[in-house]
Amino acid sequence: MDGDSSRPSRREVLRGALAAGASLTAAAALSACGAQGDVRRARSGDPWRQFAGATLNFISENTAPTAAIAANVRPFTDLTGINIKIVTLELNAVAQRVALDLASGGAEYQVIYADPYQILAPYRKGLVDLRTMQADPNLPKVPGGVGDFIPTQLDAAGRFVDPHAIYTLPYDAPTMIWQYRRDLFAKYHGRMAHDLGFDPTPGGDRTWEEYFKIAEWFNKNARSDVAYGTGHQARQHDSLMNDFSNVLWSYGGDYFDNGKKVGRLGAQDPGPCRLDSPAAIAAARFYDRLLGIADPASRTWDWDGLGAAMRAGRLAMCPNWHEYAATNEQVIPGKVDYAPLPKGPAGTANMYGGTGVAINANTRPHERGAAWLFIVWATAPATQLADLKSKAGGGTPTRTSVYRLPEVRAAEKRPSSMPNMLTASAVTQAWLPDRIGLRPKIPMWNECDTAIFTQLSRMLTGEASPEEAMRSTKKRIDRIVARGWVA
Amino acid sequence: MSTPTTPHPFTHRRDGPGRVVLKNGQAITAAPPGVPQSPLEASSRRSRWGVRVVLLVALAWTLVPLLWMLLSSFKNRKDVTAATPQVLFPPTGQNYRNLFTGSNNLTPYIWHSVLAAGISASLAVCLGALAGYGLARTPMRGKRHLAFWIISTRMAPIAAVVVPLFLIFRGLGLIDSIPGLVLAYLTFNLPFAIWLMSAFFADVPPSLEESALVAGCTRWQAFRTVILPLTKSGLVTTFVLCLVFAWNDYAFAVVFSGPNSQTLPIAASQLVTQTGIDWGQLTAIGTIVVLPMMLAGLAVRRWLVTGLTLGAVTGE
Amino acid sequence: MAHVADTSPVLHRPTRPETAARRPHIGFEGKMMTPGLIVLAALSIVPFLALIAMSFSRVRLLGGVRLEPAALRNWARFFTDTDMWMSWLRTVVYFVLTVGLEMILGVAIALCLQRVLRGRNILLSLVLLPMFAAPSIVGLLGRYLTDSTFGLYAWILRSLGFSGDVLGDPTSAFAAVVLMDVWEWTPLIALITLAGLSSVPQTVREAAAVDGASWWMTFRYIILPAISNVLLVALLIRSMDAIRYFDIIWVTTNGGPADATKIVPIRLYETAFRFFDLGYAAAIGLAMLAFSIFIARMFVRLLDTRGLTR
Repeated sequence: MDGDSSRPSRREVLRGALAAGASLTAAAALSACGAQGDVRRARSGDPWRQFAGATLNFISENTAPTAAIAANVRPFTDLTGINIKIVTLELNAVAQRVALDLASGGAEYQVIYADPYQILAPYRKGLVDLRTMQADPNLPKVPGGVGDFIPTQLDAAGRFVDPHAIYTLPYDAPTMIWQYRRDLFAKYHGRMAHDLGFDPTPGGDRTWEEYFKIAEWFNKNARSDVAYGTGHQARQHDSLMNDFSNVLWSYGGDYFDNGKKVGRLGAQDPGPCRLDSPAAIAAARFYDRLLGIADPASRTWDWDGLGAAMRAGRLAMCPNWHEYAATNEQVIPGKVDYAPLPKGPAGTANMYGGTGVAINANTRPHERGAAWLFIVWATAPATQLADLKSKAGGGTPTRTSVYRLPEVRAAEKRPSSMPNMLTASAVTQAWLPDRIGLRPKIPMWNECDTAIFTQLSRMLTGEASPEEAMRSTKKRIDRIVARGWVA
Repeated sequence: MSTPTTPHPFTHRRDGPGRVVLKNGQAITAAPPGVPQSPLEASSRRSRWGVRVVLLVALAWTLVPLLWMLLSSFKNRKDVTAATPQVLFPPTGQNYRNLFTGSNNLTPYIWHSVLAAGISASLAVCLGALAGYGLARTPMRGKRHLAFWIISTRMAPIAAVVVPLFLIFRGLGLIDSIPGLVLAYLTFNLPFAIWLMSAFFADVPPSLEESALVAGCTRWQAFRTVILPLTKSGLVTTFVLCLVFAWNDYAFAVVFSGPNSQTLPIAASQLVTQTGIDWGQLTAIGTIVVLPMMLAGLAVRRWLVTGLTLGAVTGE
Repeated sequence: MAHVADTSPVLHRPTRPETAARRPHIGFEGKMMTPGLIVLAALSIVPFLALIAMSFSRVRLLGGVRLEPAALRNWARFFTDTDMWMSWLRTVVYFVLTVGLEMILGVAIALCLQRVLRGRNILLSLVLLPMFAAPSIVGLLGRYLTDSTFGLYAWILRSLGFSGDVLGDPTSAFAAVVLMDVWEWTPLIALITLAGLSSVPQTVREAAAVDGASWWMTFRYIILPAISNVLLVALLIRSMDAIRYFDIIWVTTNGGPADATKIVPIRLYETAFRFFDLGYAAAIGLAMLAFSIFIARMFVRLLDTRGLTR
């Protein structure tokens, strides 16, 4: 094969291979250049403009507040000269990319939407302790101070175990509340009150049993208006754990001992799971019964499907995140109202799903400064106010001062220019320390969460009784916790 | 081990022009024994209707979802989620317009997809053609094992290989870049291309090269000027199939892409947001993702057969 | 089954011993293969070795990946995890159902298409369309069609008297994801089968018809044996991907309800990228790889024996 004839051919083959290889390496080298190096710091008097020209990547779940920020990011670029690239993905994909980014030792994403349960608790060591940024005299301060953030939220979304360190600034605050069709409740108020023997007006004084009866009443008497009295986010998904937890807590059950503390500040090792307690089993029994009369499509809905069904007029009421108010107002204006969730034998709980924005600890010093400018701006009162007015949906403020602004207070009543504020009276009650529902903030929560919603899903499809579901969840959680967490 | 090697693990044999014999050499020249005799052509009318019904059902089953997607992409917000499916509705181009205006403009996504899928498919075809030819013609022992190893690299579970690949790519600075995606796509496209091309080359009688060599060509010249032009259809088919696989990928893109390299399937998943799936836009994006690949696929349909049957049959 | 290439004097010149002695002999074919194989090896062998290492370790993420030896812990867990065994069972059922249905329907469609003379190409083109669609889009489309509030198929099913919720009930959800896969990949089988059918000479079929063979007899004794090789190739191609792809389930049910659609790839993905238990994920991944290679080997061996024994 090595005769004269093959010599030029080999060269040609090699040349072809080399060309292919060279183009690859050249492209690789090019892309490598772009990624490295810290941003420049300009010597200007304005602390907001010192990193002008930098580009930051912000990775976020595709939530309403980020949509509003994305639509409204120009003022920040005008203010600082920093370009922001926003990548929005669904939460699982965000957690995946963040973990890989942290694992790589670099910082593709300088600013991170740090879900307290999926990102903050497991990867806290990969995030900057923001106290170091606050202490830097060259950087602007958080306007109004961190004390302006709603205290439960600063703890739940921003801290982990250590009561002093702050890893994120609270950025959004979705909370589960009771959403109901005010037109139908008005229409049937008298008949319902008469048939049921209690005042059916939704509010913190109702009990879950009463919620059940109201739903059943709608099923029987209002078929012409709605298909079902209640709907739930009971798909085999994180949403199912959220929906069930409200009931669990209000019946006095909890995932672990010291639930309030494990929820608010978090724990590395929460101890044995308590889902096999009689209270938890009673809660599961009730939840199973409630889902038995709910719209059967509940088992296919996460929060999003449930919201769509509510807006499509299938349901008289449902527990769902309060940030859906803006969309509700858009599609069926004036027809939905909001109340805190019902109470159970042991009180009430409204699941909190807020998140903060954090800075990747792998960032270089100046990059870090630029990222700080962004998270301070994104959580500033003025930005939160602009988000409330945003056409792109927008979230709700995480700062007490914003809720006190006259124009925001005025928007709590119809007609409202900031439809999310229609939920204000419900959520401000829900955020009180004894009413806020905080799931365990532990590093291995993702896997526990999956065990919980999977076993609940088995219960709802009749494959397991409530007792079995709770016991098998406990068994799994204990196993997961015992395995511990390394990150 | 002295089993005679075949040019391609699954190739057929060509006995002469126009005559087709399957690889297993089954003679299809007479009816097998045991077939009872009886009058003919009785059921042909009935069976023709049966065929029509089956095809009609198959057509409806395949086309309804696609047409529905196309239709829905022209619906407004209300019609697209109407409780009773709307067939007649005032069409609107708003969904498409929204995709190309506003903060999340689709144009860069399309561009990334085109680049990543296009370059990856081209590279796969180039390398695949070389290696495929080598594989088809090599007299080496154990080539069967080599062929199997090549294709088995394509079977690796995506979620498992992604992590080590990510770390390697990170070290090379390939994350969030088109070259990174190109390489990632090569992991599944290259083995496929080698496999496919080797089937096409095995289809070319070696006598052609022989005469070229006799005429004074080098092996490389024979390959380039005689064999390659004969397998043009194979090259095109391989290219299109690789293009389709790369274009449609979601699992790799979700890990390896970033703000500077998001692809179209990522854009689609981004529309599944917390505040509701915008089905109008989603169906519009779906149409944009699906349509070009369908057109490309249909363009090479005629040749797909040869490639996909790996030479187990010859032409039509 | 000697091939021309083996006997061809031009292509197969004997190597001169002195050249072979000077450096290892690769040959023209070897040189042609080298660039592709190097890229392939780089992209597959390194991750493969990394996987093996990871499966015996506990993987730490932060501040750069580090492996801590964990002996056989991941593998012990793999073999004692009952949830995992359920997933394997489901995977096998899913695999048999999807690939089986695709084969049956694909062959049926191909047989019918072959009987059509006018407009066959257009018909074939239309039937082929789904196989070019992105699986993630197929999943989203399936979700849209079966949504109980506004889905077209849900609406049709409702008017046919099916009151349940397609993706809400374990059985129907499983059926739905199987059917979505079948929708996408049946065309591929049909295409390949049709190619095989066209190699069965018309005269043979006619002869059978003249002999009065029933339709089933013709199919069973003439057509099926003639296309069996092609069918095997189709099976091979399909089964390679059937276990790998999970996009459709990922966007529709994500494993639910009650774990009914949680096949192994979904569990693997979740272990790797939701729980970030990369050591355990590596063990699952290797097991999956072994499983798919086992299946592929089976088909290839079948092909081989058929090819070599005439």
